[in-house]
Amino acid sequence: MGLIRLLVFGFLGLSVVYLAVSFYSRSIRREKLEDRWAEDHPDDRDSPERETFIEDGMTEYQNGIRPKLILLVYVIPAILVVLTLFMTNAN
Amino acid sequence: MAYVKNTIRIVLFLVFGALFHYVLPQHDVVRVTGTEIIRMDFSSMNRIFFAQADSASAELATRDIRLLNTVKRKTFLLGFYQREAEGVMVYRNEDTGWIWPPYFKFDSSDLQAEALANVSTPDNEQWVKITHYGWRNRFFTVYPNAIAITPIDGPEVRIIPWFNIFFFGFLIVGLLFMRAMWRQFRERTIDPAMEDAGDAWERVDAHADQARGRFGRWLDSWRGKR
Repeated sequence: MGLIRLLVFGFLGLSVVYLAVSFYSRSIRREKLEDRWAEDHPDDRDSPERETFIEDGMTEYQNGIRPKLILLVYVIPAILVVLTLFMTNAN
Repeated sequence: MAYVKNTIRIVLFLVFGALFHYVLPQHDVVRVTGTEIIRMDFSSMNRIFFAQADSASAELATRDIRLLNTVKRKTFLLGFYQREAEGVMVYRNEDTGWIWPPYFKFDSSDLQAEALANVSTPDNEQWVKITHYGWRNRFFTVYPNAIAITPIDGPEVRIIPWFNIFFFGFLIVGLLFMRAMWRQFRERTIDPAMEDAGDAWERVDAHADQARGRFGRWLDSWRGKR
C-alpha cells in the first residue's frame, strides 16, 4: 500500500516539477531567439520573418536532445530511492 | 510592514530548522548496553513521533517497540564538537517504510541483531556509530529512530556529515533555480499580461471620458446659459 502511495504521489509531484522545468526551458529558449533576432535586426519588432525565425528555432529545440533531458526529473529521484533503499537495508 | 515580514521570516526559519533537525540523519558515538522491547500505547501527544507497524503488518492502536539502550558521548553544537562526558540514550528501532521520513528502512530486526552483536560490556567496551533521526523527549516519551549501526575502534572519531552537506548544497541550488524560474515567469508571462490589461483599462478610461463629454454636453443643454 505504502509503495503505491509513494508511486502515485511521487509521480504527481514530479510531474509538476517536469511541467515547470520544461515551461522554463522553452521560455529561456524563446527569449534567446528573440534576442538573437534583435541583434541582427535592431529596428524589427514584429515582422513575419521574425515570427518564422523564432518558430523555426523553437521547432529545432523541440526536436533536439534538451527537452528529453528534462525527463531526468523522473529518473534521478527513482535512482535515489533505489540507492537509499539499498544503503539502508543492505548490511 | 518590515516587522511583519521579519516575523514571518523568523517563524519560517524556525519551522524549517526544526523539521530538518528532526528529519535529517545525525551520527552519535555510543556503546550499546542492551536492547529491549516495550509495548507502547500511543496517544495523540506522541503518535506523530513514531512511524508505523513493521512493513506488511497490520496497524493496531498499540504495539511493541524495539529499543536500544546505549551510553552516548555527549556533544556540543549539533554533534560538531565532541565532549568527554557521557550520558545514557535510548533509541527506538522502527521501520520507516515507503513514505516518511524517506529512509526506506525495512530492516529493523536486522538492525536489532546488529546492535546485539556489538553489545558493550564494562571490561570489553565496544563503540559504535549510530545514525539516527528524531528527538528524545522524556515528557512525551519520544525516541530518536536508529537507522544504521557501524562498529568503530574507539570513541575518538571524526564524523563528516556528507549527506547533510550535499542535502543543503542541493537545497540552495534548488531554491536559486526556483527563483530564476519565477523571475522568468514574471518577466515573460505575468508582466506582458499586466501590460495588456493596463492598455485595455486605458482604452476603457478614454472611452468613458468621451462618453462623459457627450453626457456633460447633453446635461449642459438643460441648464440655463450663463
